[in-house]
Amino acid sequence: MRGIVHWAKDVDEDWASVLAELTRAFEMSRSSAQGEGSIVYVVRQDDLLGRRGAGNAMVACGLLSAARTAALEGARKGWTANVVAFDDVADRAIVEAWARRLLDDGAVNGELIRVGSGHIGKTLA
Amino acid sequence: MNGTIVVTGAARGIGRSIAEKMASTGPVTVVGVDVAPELGLSESITPVQVDLTSADGTRVVREAVEASGAPLIGLVNNAGITRDARLLNMTNEDFSAVLEVNLGAAFRLTTELAPLMSDGGAIVNIASRAYLGNFGQFNYSMSKGGLVGMSRALALSLAPHVRVNAVAPGLVSSEMSMAIPEEIREKMVESIPLDRMGTPDEIANTVWWLLTPLSSYITGEVIVVGGGRSLS
Repeated sequence: MRGIVHWAKDVDEDWASVLAELTRAFEMSRSSAQGEGSIVYVVRQDDLLGRRGAGNAMVACGLLSAARTAALEGARKGWTANVVAFDDVADRAIVEAWARRLLDDGAVNGELIRVGSGHIGKTLA
Repeated sequence: MNGTIVVTGAARGIGRSIAEKMASTGPVTVVGVDVAPELGLSESITPVQVDLTSADGTRVVREAVEASGAPLIGLVNNAGITRDARLLNMTNEDFSAVLEVNLGAAFRLTTELAPLMSDGGAIVNIASRAYLGNFGQFNYSMSKGGLVGMSRALALSLAPHVRVNAVAPGLVSSEMSMAIPEEIREKMVESIPLDRMGTPDEIANTVWWLLTPLSSYITGEVIVVGGGRSLS
């Protein structure tokens, strides 16, 4: 299946850095949607909880919310949007495999897949 | 409560209700941002008109807080706009305008004012139920999700001195919701278990509670005030 996998970059604690990263994700996502391709964002579990600063948290949580909206729009067109979150001990190859599966599968939409155990006992994202 | 509380987007809708609620509940000075003097808000609300997306704007708010002569005990980041479009049709201008006002301004102002917050103070960020996803609002839901992330990060970094929470209103009767076509708005109401739109006062009541010591053990949370729509 066509689509993009967007890995969130670390950002500084300043707005320009945050906006640049969110804009990069937006432009890639729009391009994918125009071609009816699916979207997967990859973020750190710690950033969904705000544990690595406000800049990274704004990016990760912003992408999660954007994916949920994109998922609603894609559902009418046959493409999907999902998020993979990984913890400190997750293997990068496994994270990539989950992202690829979400692109290829098409059966899961608007979902947050958390690789590793770091989220257990923490707040729902 | 005794001190100064800043409320952004206080000219109308939810922000105005929050400002009036806070002004009516005790010896507090409310700095209402984006408020023109002729709007006729209560006398205890100090009107400030600035562009919060500029460094000058946040500085003017800080100066108004300092001029109040009272400790800063609360900040409510409420100002927000919408520029709806489906993702594939969304322009860069619509994207960045919403992100700048809804998230960038809140981040800048909070960074400016956090050093002034008194011990035991509280910050409330007005997110939206759209942080859970809303058709045609890629920019808006991203900005509100970003506010949730900011709230969590600041809840950690400002603890134990200042609490930070987010409120996520659902469909509320306001200028913003009235811009939604009536037919769509009626369908949205049908999906709300409590069978009606919320009122700005109902959001203000929740914000008031989060600003007071009644919620002294709550930080880093998102409270959805949406009539149960998240379930339906």
